[in-house]
Amino acid sequence: MSMFTAPPIAAALKVDAKPRPVQQLLNRRGLAKLLLLAVAAAVLVPLLHAKYGAAWPSSLTVDVSGPLGRTSDWIIDNRDSHWLFTYFLGHLSNAVVLSVRGVYLLLLALGWTGVTAGVTLLAWRVAGVRIAATALISFLVSGLLGMWVPTMQTLALMVVAVVASVVVGALLGLAAGLSGRLFKLLRPVLDTMQVLPAFAYLLPVVLVFGIGVPAALLATVIYAAPPMARLTALGLRGADAGVLEAVSSLGATGRQRLLTARLPLARKELLLGVNQSIMMALSMVVIASMIGAAGLGDRVYQALASVDVGAALAAAIPIVLLAIVMDRTTAAAGERLGAEPDTSGPKLLRGRLVWAGIGVLTAVLALVGRLTGSLVWPTGWVVAIARPVNDFKEWMVGHLYSGVPVIGGTADWAAHFTNWVLNPLRDGLTALPWYGTLLIVAALAWLIGTWRTALTAVLAMAAIGVLGVWKPSMNTLSQVIAALVVTLVLGFGIGVLAAGSKRFEAILRPVLDVMQTMPQFVYLIPVVALFAVGRAPAAAAAVVYALPAVIRITTQGLRQVDAAAMESARSLGATRWQTLRQVQLPLARPALLLAVNQGVVLVLAVVIIGGLVGGGALGYDVVTGLATGDLALGLVAGVAIVCLGLMLDRVTQPTERRTTGKGA
Amino acid sequence: MATTSAGASETPKSASAPRSASSAAREVVFSVRHLWKVFGPKADRIPEDTSVAGLSAQELREKTGCTAAVRDVSFDVHKGEVFVVMGLSGSGKSTLVRCLTRLIEPTSGGLEMDGEDVRAMDRSSLRELRRRRASMVFQHFGLLPHRTVVDNVAYGLEIQGVSKAERRERATEMVEKVGLAGLEKRRPGQLSGGQQQRVGLARALAVDPEVLLFDEPFSALDPLIRRDMQEEVVRLHREEGRTMVFITHDLAEALRVGDRIALMRDGEIVQLGTPEEIVGSPADDYVRDFVRDVPREQVLTVRRAMRPAEDGESDQGPALTPDTLISDAIEAVARCGGAARVVDEGRCLGIVDHACLLNVVARVDHRPEEVAA
Repeated sequence: MSMFTAPPIAAALKVDAKPRPVQQLLNRRGLAKLLLLAVAAAVLVPLLHAKYGAAWPSSLTVDVSGPLGRTSDWIIDNRDSHWLFTYFLGHLSNAVVLSVRGVYLLLLALGWTGVTAGVTLLAWRVAGVRIAATALISFLVSGLLGMWVPTMQTLALMVVAVVASVVVGALLGLAAGLSGRLFKLLRPVLDTMQVLPAFAYLLPVVLVFGIGVPAALLATVIYAAPPMARLTALGLRGADAGVLEAVSSLGATGRQRLLTARLPLARKELLLGVNQSIMMALSMVVIASMIGAAGLGDRVYQALASVDVGAALAAAIPIVLLAIVMDRTTAAAGERLGAEPDTSGPKLLRGRLVWAGIGVLTAVLALVGRLTGSLVWPTGWVVAIARPVNDFKEWMVGHLYSGVPVIGGTADWAAHFTNWVLNPLRDGLTALPWYGTLLIVAALAWLIGTWRTALTAVLAMAAIGVLGVWKPSMNTLSQVIAALVVTLVLGFGIGVLAAGSKRFEAILRPVLDVMQTMPQFVYLIPVVALFAVGRAPAAAAAVVYALPAVIRITTQGLRQVDAAAMESARSLGATRWQTLRQVQLPLARPALLLAVNQGVVLVLAVVIIGGLVGGGALGYDVVTGLATGDLALGLVAGVAIVCLGLMLDRVTQPTERRTTGKGA
Repeated sequence: MATTSAGASETPKSASAPRSASSAAREVVFSVRHLWKVFGPKADRIPEDTSVAGLSAQELREKTGCTAAVRDVSFDVHKGEVFVVMGLSGSGKSTLVRCLTRLIEPTSGGLEMDGEDVRAMDRSSLRELRRRRASMVFQHFGLLPHRTVVDNVAYGLEIQGVSKAERRERATEMVEKVGLAGLEKRRPGQLSGGQQQRVGLARALAVDPEVLLFDEPFSALDPLIRRDMQEEVVRLHREEGRTMVFITHDLAEALRVGDRIALMRDGEIVQLGTPEEIVGSPADDYVRDFVRDVPREQVLTVRRAMRPAEDGESDQGPALTPDTLISDAIEAVARCGGAARVVDEGRCLGIVDHACLLNVVARVDHRPEEVAA
């Protein structure tokens, strides 16, 4: 090993030996960057201001609605005749419709008895008794809520979408894992796709496929395949070099290496990829109800459109349960890998015969269901929760929305938040000259990252202006910033507390687990119940959605701070606060930056979806575009969302390899 | 001089003979000539470029951006011996052993195994060499975590295409041989470091290779376990007589298992010889520094300590063979209270008494000769 470890160790020593000069260099470099930008600004700003003025100049705007509208018309006109559609996209769309239909019919044919039994047994086999019980209860609850058919519709879509995403993702990941060049090419694309809000994917697929199941499914696959591809590639690349060398030393061929070592070594990542794909797919299948996916998401969507919180909740509960079951099952399957073959549980559930057993039992129960004539969940067993929930909501509107002594009401809070935070922020951002915004973006991105990230961020921001959606984008941006600040304050605070107290973390963990598995869409329901509609509830949903990830990353970052550094600080007599401020937080800086980055991405995703509950701005444009068939409007908003996402991600993206180029 | 190694810096030493490699013309397994491995840009030019080939590691890096991990190394590994390559980390020893089966492609030089040119081999014959003729044991074991012990051991056979039943049988045999019987169904993650390395050893043995290559196999183990494993290797070597190339940074380990030791520094071999030669006659200050703390009485033999017999001494006192360690001689001398004879085939070669033995321990023996070397 000696030859390989020596240079990095030497490099590390070099850095460790003189932290001060390096630090100074960095500081000076940051200063130099700022100075350079200031000079550029001093020259450019007067010029730009004299030429264009403070608002985004119309001469720099390109109106794309004409060409986009024509493209859309052309596609609609040629959908049945052009070879591209008849020979490729048409088949694709037919295959999607057929497979979803097939799975749906199969699920219906199995009946509720068969499906519930099958899923429970499957969960038992791969994940153990507890998760099997969760699955059983979840499916029964879905039935009780009267959501059996929509649940099956969603499940059918999910099965097809997940299989397609996993296959596509695994193939891409395999290629990228084996070819370094492809990996370099694919990685930034996949990384970027992961930060884009789900809404951005809806319009392009609608443009090509029209509203319907194929569009919904393809949007889902595009959204859910990247994590699989990414994790497959990373897993294959991250395989223990020592093991691979040992395998080579025994004379294995390339194929043998792949099949007996690299793929098995990447099993954990592969399963994690499947897990993430499933969660992303569920999130998207629900959102894709806006472009023609039937099922639970559609119920939520319809209910939200008429602010029927009760109906929305009835459909949301099965979504959450489905998410929990799928997440826990795949996660537990991943954890079980590599462990000793399980000896707990009944003997029936071990070995290869089990799979046959599961099939037989499922079939028998399906048959029983069929014979007793209850294929679909019996209507007599449905518990209607919509009305009591709505009654409760009415009571809240009457008693909690405003006029509560001392603390005021929830609607008052929302109004205050809108008036005192969102509005000034939006107005300020809109009033800020466009070149000022670009400069701030450039400065932030350059300070935190490299000139490359700064360039991408500025270009993305400029593209928003060019597309002529500067104003709504600033509106969205103001909501993102407001929600982000609240998220970070809460998240860092709770994260620090959780890192300091084991007990608090133990209480927090299951809550975070559940919150992190829920699809974005679901978060809109409670905030609508609490704060009615508007921009404040959208921001609140964003905060709630982004909070778990921020807390988690903060806690982990603080926990992973070198114990020796902490111990030495304590041995010098530092107080807890001093340790936190002077040792833990600085050392956890990369994790905190990551938390900011994740927070931004997650907040943006939900702020955009907030367009459904009165969040306005870009999200609303997408929704309107879809609802009125004005694809140009929606597409432009979609592109702006992509640009905004890119900009926000780049601005908060710390440099990954700070040391490169500095070694020699 | 019993060995005919071509080590450039091997010190000629006549006072002592190698411990076990006593026959002069032994079959050569690996023959390495002027081998170079250079990392960096345009690495293949370095060995031929006489203007830089002689530079020190530091100068070479500054001038060309290249690192010479192995530079102009030549040696032979004889059949049945344990050939140890020793050096500190960064001395190029691990690179060197990987060059032997071209896990790392050498930059230049000659490399033969049983007279076959390894560097000229195509992929399939190289694969055959790795599959059947030379297997390696790694510092960090390199076991497949998802396979059981027995499947790990059988892995090399599986690669070769041996049928499942046969490889299971042979693997089980090997697992027993390295003392892991009963643990066949465990996974590597459930074993201790020492046990994992036994699995690694069994895996290498399972393919019945001509040569075993060890790359710092016991560095990651606790001292006590390390000792056990070293004894295991010595035992295996005694039983099977398999040729071994053993890389280590631990001098005590090198002295314990090695028949001959090549001491490396900055990619070059500084000295090549038996443990006794290395400890008794260090080639330069670097080596001398290296072996300073070695308990000499446990490495050197009475051959070094004896003085010519004086009148009447040659038939008195206990008889010792020339290969007796100083420490054993001390015991014998202490027991009888007087001098002991060194006897080889009935002939008295010399005498060791308290003074002779103490001189060796106190490092005041053979001074002039060392300086000459």
